[in-house]
Amino acid sequence: MTQTLASSVADRLRAIVGHDQVITHPDRLVAYESDGLTAYRVVPRAVVLPETTEQVSQVLRIMHDEGIAVVPRGAGTGLSGGALPTPDGVIVGTARMSRILSIDEQNRLARVQPGVVNARLTEATAPYGLYYAPDPASQSTCTLGGNVAENSGGPHCLKYGVTSRYVTGLTVVMADGEVVRLGGAGLEAAHGLDLVGLFVGSEGCFGIATEIEVRLLPKVESIRTLLGIFHTMEAAGHAVTDIIGSGLMPAAVEIVDNATIVAVEASVFSAGYPIDAGAALVVEFDGTEAGLDDDADRAEQCCLSAGATKVIRATSDEERIALWKGRKKAFGAMGRIAPDLLVQDATVPRTRLPEVLARITEIGHEYDLKIANVFHAGDGNLHPNILFDRQNKEELERVEKASREIMTLCVSVGGTITGEHGVGVDKRAYMPLVYNDVEMEMLRSVRRVFDPDGRLNPGKVVQ
Amino acid sequence: MNLARSLRASLPGVSTREWDQSDHDGLWLGGTPEVLISPVSAQEASQILTWAGQEGLGVLPLGSGRHLGPVGRGRFVALETSLLSGVDEYEPADLTITSGAGTSFSTVDSTLRDNGQWAPFDSPGVTERSIGGFVSEASHSPLWAGYGSLRNHVLGATLVAGDGRVLRLGGKVVKNVAGYDLLRPVVGGQGRLGILTSVCLRAFPLPAHERVLVLKRARVMDLIEPALLAGTAPVLPVSIVLVGQLAALSGSSALVLRLHGAESTVDADQSALEKHLGMSLDPLAANEVDSCLVEVRDRGGLEPRCVEVSVLPSCLSKVVAAAEEVGAAKAVIDSYAGRLRMGSTDMSVDAVADLRGAAENLGGALRVVRWDSASRPQDTLCRNAEVQLAQRLESIFDPGGVLWPARQ
Repeated sequence: MTQTLASSVADRLRAIVGHDQVITHPDRLVAYESDGLTAYRVVPRAVVLPETTEQVSQVLRIMHDEGIAVVPRGAGTGLSGGALPTPDGVIVGTARMSRILSIDEQNRLARVQPGVVNARLTEATAPYGLYYAPDPASQSTCTLGGNVAENSGGPHCLKYGVTSRYVTGLTVVMADGEVVRLGGAGLEAAHGLDLVGLFVGSEGCFGIATEIEVRLLPKVESIRTLLGIFHTMEAAGHAVTDIIGSGLMPAAVEIVDNATIVAVEASVFSAGYPIDAGAALVVEFDGTEAGLDDDADRAEQCCLSAGATKVIRATSDEERIALWKGRKKAFGAMGRIAPDLLVQDATVPRTRLPEVLARITEIGHEYDLKIANVFHAGDGNLHPNILFDRQNKEELERVEKASREIMTLCVSVGGTITGEHGVGVDKRAYMPLVYNDVEMEMLRSVRRVFDPDGRLNPGKVVQ
Repeated sequence: MNLARSLRASLPGVSTREWDQSDHDGLWLGGTPEVLISPVSAQEASQILTWAGQEGLGVLPLGSGRHLGPVGRGRFVALETSLLSGVDEYEPADLTITSGAGTSFSTVDSTLRDNGQWAPFDSPGVTERSIGGFVSEASHSPLWAGYGSLRNHVLGATLVAGDGRVLRLGGKVVKNVAGYDLLRPVVGGQGRLGILTSVCLRAFPLPAHERVLVLKRARVMDLIEPALLAGTAPVLPVSIVLVGQLAALSGSSALVLRLHGAESTVDADQSALEKHLGMSLDPLAANEVDSCLVEVRDRGGLEPRCVEVSVLPSCLSKVVAAAEEVGAAKAVIDSYAGRLRMGSTDMSVDAVADLRGAAENLGGALRVVRWDSASRPQDTLCRNAEVQLAQRLESIFDPGGVLWPARQ
């Protein structure tokens, strides 16, 4: 049961951030009851929307003094319940901290507030011939603060790496309101431990990042995108192994399975994928124009050798967008099949993909659940999507059992329970599949280094 | 009972030897370990650390023994990882390789090269280093520009914490966000959090073609502008470095750029770079490449005294000017990263202190990589709050301060 925030505390918060930036009305709080993982819902006591580091510091100091839990929240697009409120907690949202503070063209750096939307940074740096590489599927809405909290990836992290590769420095407000600067470009030689790297991916449990310094890359000159159509998932998997094994370095390698293709083609997002295909493989190369056709030719040959029935190559930006459509709109299309979708996330060694996918299909049959697969095949990052109706409690139980079996399977082949969505509340119960008691206790101890009282995002990652 | 006997009584079967300084030529500890211990497993390393804690001894982790500075006072033993060697697991199609911490980098790299892959790191003396020491040090590698830093490519490790707890960190997949990333402070942590016993690295396909382009000038200072310009080109070389008086180039100072890719790509990249710079670049002949790259890689890094400086690339010319005041030293500059490394036999503490001051005034930092004397210059310290967080983290991993020698 959600507790009411004392009016005296709310008034103190309003004095810091402004009257309208502290939300306590139950009707408005409902909008914050979950993040992208809608299976879990808790109405927060209040939502506070600061605009500056100093305001965040003052807000957290009050929360600390009052012993109130704080749940940091970016755009709320996370898929593991990392921004799920607690009944006794207050959400500190970064939506108003949306300024790009500086773009340093010469040193290829940008400094931003955490509420800056991922894609907006790339738009803002485009005039300088630069861009920000990590591109989560939600990049048009997710924020950089959320990306830092989750160490987000995206289709192109196969070649370019995930968020932690690009964050060079952080300003962080700790649980007690102390403002701490970690790292910073130019300070790499300083004597110390990599606390920036440790903070990235800490899911809001170590502090709230209020300024983020990121490295930018030069915009790529050209892109080549191919779509391979296969009778079976196994054949598509072999094509991926051949492409990577041949020494090619694609920017992205993505697979959608038949269930996903059928869902997409039946929706308004129809991309023209054949509905009888067992799998569709999107391969993308980027870089200097001169070498791209060679790379694309070699990848096409890998697809054909692995049994592709057709390989289509985009010849324009419009065609490229069309080839990607079936992959990028997959999640949206699934809403047509079932009212709820559990987007799972796990990583396995790439060579184990065919057997793992076959077993996931069996798990779906065993639990009488529809599971559609969309995944970053190049780095073995699976997204088995379980379709269900959360009003059906019995079905929800089967979803939970199937999820656990899938996670157990992925860990048993040398993989892990999350590749890019984070642990949040969704994967917390699976952490013992990966870590033993000693390692779990170490995670808790490290959390206490940053937040001794455990008031920042309680109940997430580890308890 | 002497220490070796006490150890044998507590842990029969553990391999121990008397410390022999002549086996560790060039390693200056500032003290003598009472015994050299060589565990054969993570479990044995755990027992040794637990025993050391009970005996009130410090433990000095040794890889290849190339990059340790002087240690502190008191009684300590050395723990070397040479018996934790060998490639444990390698699946070429997964581009991952797991090896014991005592395995030499060259063993790992040659295993990869046999399968058309490699580990793209070019820090000084890398081939002779142990994987554990290499990861613990995380020395800067100019190939960072094209491949990312080592921190991004250590996928997993087994670490024995200071109190003997054995921790499996990360895994063997390239994307992994299950729990806090405890690997990050371990990589480059110089053994302050524990002793690595195995490491899983990400491998990369060998480039189809490599071209090394050089631009020669009389002085390094004359090359800074084109080097910085190269860093803003639409084509990013995999490394951009400046070196003075390269023997491989008949004593010229040079900007050295490396391009990787299919031959047609490399051709196009060279043209794009030359157009961007407004000048032509000379490709090195195939028989010149290896000697030049090894000289660049090791430049200054194997000298008895070596320091590294980091600044924003836009501040490079000022810090290079300050470095020239230090006196004769072998230097290499990664202009894309804003990193300068310099080494010599006789850099003075005062000169390094001046250089550190100059770097700090520019918002940068200086770190002493090697120093063969007790009077050692200071590193740039992190901000107070960062130091406190790091100390709290160290106390979690090593509550008894057993790994004290590496903390100096």
